[in-house]
Amino acid sequence: MISVMVVDDHPIWRDGVARDLTENGFEVRATAPDGEAAVRIATAVRPDVVLMDINMGETSGVDATREITMALPDTRVLVLSASGEHSDVLEAVKAGASGYLVKSASAQELVDAVERTAQGDPVFTPGLAGLVLGEYRRMADAPDGGAPPPRLTERETDVLRFVAKGHTSRQIAERLVLSHRTVENHVQSTLRKLQLHNRVELARYAIEHGLDKE
Amino acid sequence: MSKRFGPTAVEPATPLWWGGIALRALTWLFALGAVIVHEDDYQRPALAWIVLGAMAVWTVLTTVVYSREALRWRWRWFVIADIVVVCGLMLTSPLILSPAQLAGVDPLITTVWVAGVPVAAGTRFGGYGGAAAGLVVGAATAVARQAFTLDVARDALLLVATGLLIGMSATTARKSAAALAEAWRKEVATAERERLARSIHDSVLQVLARVRRRGAEVGGEAAELAELAGEQEIALRALVTTEPTATGTGETDLRAALQLLGSSKVQIATPAGDVLLPAATTAELVAVVREALSNVDKHAPGAKAWVLLENLATEVVITVRDDGPGIPEGRLAAAETDGHLGVARSMRGRVLELGGTISLETAPDRGTEWEVRVPKAGTKR
Repeated sequence: MISVMVVDDHPIWRDGVARDLTENGFEVRATAPDGEAAVRIATAVRPDVVLMDINMGETSGVDATREITMALPDTRVLVLSASGEHSDVLEAVKAGASGYLVKSASAQELVDAVERTAQGDPVFTPGLAGLVLGEYRRMADAPDGGAPPPRLTERETDVLRFVAKGHTSRQIAERLVLSHRTVENHVQSTLRKLQLHNRVELARYAIEHGLDKE
Repeated sequence: MSKRFGPTAVEPATPLWWGGIALRALTWLFALGAVIVHEDDYQRPALAWIVLGAMAVWTVLTTVVYSREALRWRWRWFVIADIVVVCGLMLTSPLILSPAQLAGVDPLITTVWVAGVPVAAGTRFGGYGGAAAGLVVGAATAVARQAFTLDVARDALLLVATGLLIGMSATTARKSAAALAEAWRKEVATAERERLARSIHDSVLQVLARVRRRGAEVGGEAAELAELAGEQEIALRALVTTEPTATGTGETDLRAALQLLGSSKVQIATPAGDVLLPAATTAELVAVVREALSNVDKHAPGAKAWVLLENLATEVVITVRDDGPGIPEGRLAAAETDGHLGVARSMRGRVLELGGTISLETAPDRGTEWEVRVPKAGTKR
């Protein structure tokens, strides 16, 4: 049984999602109302999947995502967010989230997304693909003097553009004459490179500012 | 910006009013000195002291009025009265001074005290008002001297210049205070908007999202209500989270503008950062996307659509795709040659006008996909 933790500062939403998941055969191991509690509780209950709201009043879902994915390599974070919080979503994905779903998604879409996340597959919406594409281009256009920015292969760019235009991975596989698995791997790889670069940059920043000595 | 400015509650030209009041008091003392020095040569010394007394009374009266914000603003006529009274007092000079004094270099009875008038008029009415008052007082000087000498001309010039400069300072002070107040209002409005967005996000949106989810599961009439709630949720989210940003350079953010087109049937994918283009270009591109989307609505009702915005180094690329039945081969071309002003022509026209290109990919059961490319540098208006 897949264990899940639901992090959201709105009780109505939190409890509703928890109930939907329980009804669909997931084990909701814990809920948390903010990022700090999420990190504390997650390290104790070690869920397979953390459903993370990004916009939670004062505390940031992005930081919680980073800490949870760093501390618990087997736990995956799926970001649930209101559409429109673009830079936040991108930051959470760079911090280690393996996917993103809009809050307006249906219960069935949510269930599918949690299952896919638990299996280690990325959950990409067209919106997220657009953000990731944009981020690679931004890094290529404006190198910040640190580690050389990661680049997308031509194939990865094609796949991301297809996702951003609303194609399912099955449709993409058909169009590009690839296996469904290969398409998923391409998508996965675009995230991994982004997350790795982000960690390298964080480490570099920490060393430059002497934060590693603390 | 950490420091916040509030709109100034007092009139911004207030220091100028006080400067004028101080000037009048000081110049009255100067006039007193002049009477003491020249008294023996006057033809009517007694009248000199009476006029000096009247000047003192008028100095006090103007101080009372000009030091009060409400009075100096409401009593426009008082500044006119000021000009008349001061000129009147100056015109008593031929009765006081001896003809020799009048023709010589000795000062008129009012001396430099008259400079208070163009200062007050300038502060109240701005540069032109100040210069006009200076001109009137200068003319009165010529009448009092009963001659138009180089000295009279110089005094008149100085009076006009004083009124003009003080008036311009007052106007500048008021304009910058108004600009500051405007900036303050905008900042307050933005903060209020953000507060509203937060509170809508924290309350209404959460409930709408829940209604939509639960209603869809319950089905039947509840599902219809859920659909409506969902429409409103998406519209409200778009409203509170994005806003086309107008920048000082006449550029607007195409990304934010396109985000507003999102709905339950239309998904928008964009980069995270602003995509700034000239306002006219943004408006045209949004119009093109709207046309494409309304065309989807018309020919493939129920189909979903996706809009992808890509910001490349030299161009922006917008793709609008739908999963409808597609356009049968040749139908667009046929419509165009038949002279029907189809979508294609209108969209193509807009894009070409921007120096860009537009292409259409469609096949039966594969939906339609428009790709619009517009160069960023040297974009035509």
